[in-house]
Amino acid sequence: MTHPAPVKKTLSPEGMKQFHDWVDEYPNKRSMLMMVLRLVEEEFGCIDDDAMAIAADLCGVNVAHVQGMVTFYTHFKRPAHGKHRFMVCATLMCALDGKTDEALAQIQAKLGLKPGQATADGLFSCEKVECLADCDQPPVIQKDSEHFCSMRGPVLDAYIDKLLAAENKASADYLNAPAVTMDLRVSVLPQHYNFEGEQNVGARRSDDKDPYFAAGEGAADAPRTTVIPPPLKTPLTAPVAGSALNGTGRGSNGSANPTGGHHG
Amino acid sequence: MAETTPPATEAPAPKPVVPFSPVLLKYIHEPNSHTLEHFLARGGYETARKHVGETDPASLIAIVKDSGLRGRGGAGFPTGMKWGFLAKGTGKPAYLAVNGDESEPGTFKDRHILEKDPHQLIEGVILTCWAIQSNHAFIYLRGEFILGYQRLEAAVKEAKAKGFIGEKSFGKDFPLKITVVRGAGAYICGEETGMLSSIEGGRGYPKIKPPFPAVSGLFKCPTIVNNVETIANVTHIIKNGADWHKQWGTEKSPGYKIFCLAGAVKKPGVYEVPLGITMREFIDVYGGGLIEGRSIKAVIPGGLSAPLLTPEMVDKCTLDYESLASLGSMLGSGGITVLHDGVDMMSAIYNTMRFYHHESCGQCTPCREGTGWLEKLAHKHHAGHAHAGDADLLADVAKNMRGRTICVLADAAAMPMQSYLQHFRGEFDKRVGEAAYVERGRSARDEITPAAKRETVAHGAPGVLDVGMGMDRV
Repeated sequence: MTHPAPVKKTLSPEGMKQFHDWVDEYPNKRSMLMMVLRLVEEEFGCIDDDAMAIAADLCGVNVAHVQGMVTFYTHFKRPAHGKHRFMVCATLMCALDGKTDEALAQIQAKLGLKPGQATADGLFSCEKVECLADCDQPPVIQKDSEHFCSMRGPVLDAYIDKLLAAENKASADYLNAPAVTMDLRVSVLPQHYNFEGEQNVGARRSDDKDPYFAAGEGAADAPRTTVIPPPLKTPLTAPVAGSALNGTGRGSNGSANPTGGHHG
Repeated sequence: MAETTPPATEAPAPKPVVPFSPVLLKYIHEPNSHTLEHFLARGGYETARKHVGETDPASLIAIVKDSGLRGRGGAGFPTGMKWGFLAKGTGKPAYLAVNGDESEPGTFKDRHILEKDPHQLIEGVILTCWAIQSNHAFIYLRGEFILGYQRLEAAVKEAKAKGFIGEKSFGKDFPLKITVVRGAGAYICGEETGMLSSIEGGRGYPKIKPPFPAVSGLFKCPTIVNNVETIANVTHIIKNGADWHKQWGTEKSPGYKIFCLAGAVKKPGVYEVPLGITMREFIDVYGGGLIEGRSIKAVIPGGLSAPLLTPEMVDKCTLDYESLASLGSMLGSGGITVLHDGVDMMSAIYNTMRFYHHESCGQCTPCREGTGWLEKLAHKHHAGHAHAGDADLLADVAKNMRGRTICVLADAAAMPMQSYLQHFRGEFDKRVGEAAYVERGRSARDEITPAAKRETVAHGAPGVLDVGMGMDRV
């Protein structure tokens, strides 16, 4: 498969091996997508456009479908997230008696971050998330793939200090610098991310052998008539202020939703 | 009125109290309880070895049916009956999907099984797969269970290496695969068909029922969906028999269950107790009573979506499906949260509604829009912007959300709102008009410009997230 503008990243041999192990496990390639997204997230540190294209390639789905997945599930790490991503549980059980607010205030006091913000150097970010399922020991915080209960007071402070020291940074570096609001929207991918020979937008690839969709209900899958629109003249990788693209449903910068935009 | 003599035939004598010690959580406090050695040393996999490839699957289903085991994920549907619905002779493979998404806030029981006793779950999966004659089981975990995923994945590998699962499970002609899938932070994937959509590699959109998963589920094949705790129970019931299971609990809710206790109690945590004990006993004995100087304002009995219990209802309540249903609430997933008398109920309901608005998958309009309306109106009450009539509007929106969507998330959002309105209507009304500002010590005018209002209600809008997003300390 060739891409006119090739995807710059490739999966490591270990990653490919893991993928091929899963091929025996799952009934079809599409169903591996959740795990493949975890795999590329782990390989590349976050899920960016290239990672999404690779995941789409591996699982035989359209990139648009992968974008839909990544924006639906809030825990996938995106490029806008900091290297150290603090997720603070804000659901009722943790928030009772102001425990969530305490933890958030501590993070703000150390890193100058409000929920939904990242530091300008991209090292730290902070966000509120919904229940992390350890409700008896609030406040619960997840930092990337580490899970902490009763994360408050000196314990939380010491932990942030440890991270700061590991990055050769000091709290003062961030307190005076402005923070950045995280933009978790996906960019519109250029057409060259489509599979070679792919005719229909959103169609499954013909080599995705799926015995259970093929018969029965799947037989109703008449060839779709959707035609790929001709490439637009304006590059779509980033919304241009004042261009005709604003107001077409992609939202302006002001309505970026830092906790993932699958609602509303 | 004349005195009536009691009828000659008394009601059947109450069940003798059988002492209970934890079954599912028996070993979780021991070090290395998650290892294969530990599990084998306490007789692990012996039940599966005895039955797989030997016992008639129908007789195993009969035992589970007879035991009266009810689904522990929330709905409480009888497990054996569910297994009986599995479509036969379709020519398609049958799947078992184990729901370890546990996304209901206030629930953290499956976490303990997955992290501290994963082999117990795997043995249950093996027995269940043999009983329903399925050769492939999926275990779906929520993305936050990182340690749970690592340990379960390792446990599956160990079981495979030992030959307990694989092409020939226990050397018998019974191929079995167990696949562990991780979610990534979507509440809706705790709904059974939403979870199936997620396993199939899509957004976690629930599907219309019927067809029920037992007829057309995962990959459009017959599928049984059970909770982690339910599956973990299967081994013990098959090992000890249906009567053993029925010696605890009530007639309609037999057995024992893991309850999670959070909130304003001295000893929050997970406790495995026989069904049918009183809520007071659970809170006072197991939970150690309320924290000093506080009393109960309300109790959320079964995860965030369960309607509230007031202190009077708590006194009447026992921990079984029927008692809670008779009080207009539900046992749900067994996540009990105690709200003390200092909790601002408007903060609590706003926080709750924000959760459901965030987690609505957006397929059905009544839910997608309704949860947004509930959140915004709850925020108005929380912030003191409410107008007279807003509480009625809340009741109207909540009423019109129920029963009109593909899955029950809309009901799950509407039920707590209705119960807050029912029991704490006075607090809603107190926040109407400017009086609320004065009471809360705020300037009457500084927050109610239309722009400020828009910003504060737009969930996730940058810079204003700390306005009422957590809980106010009262």
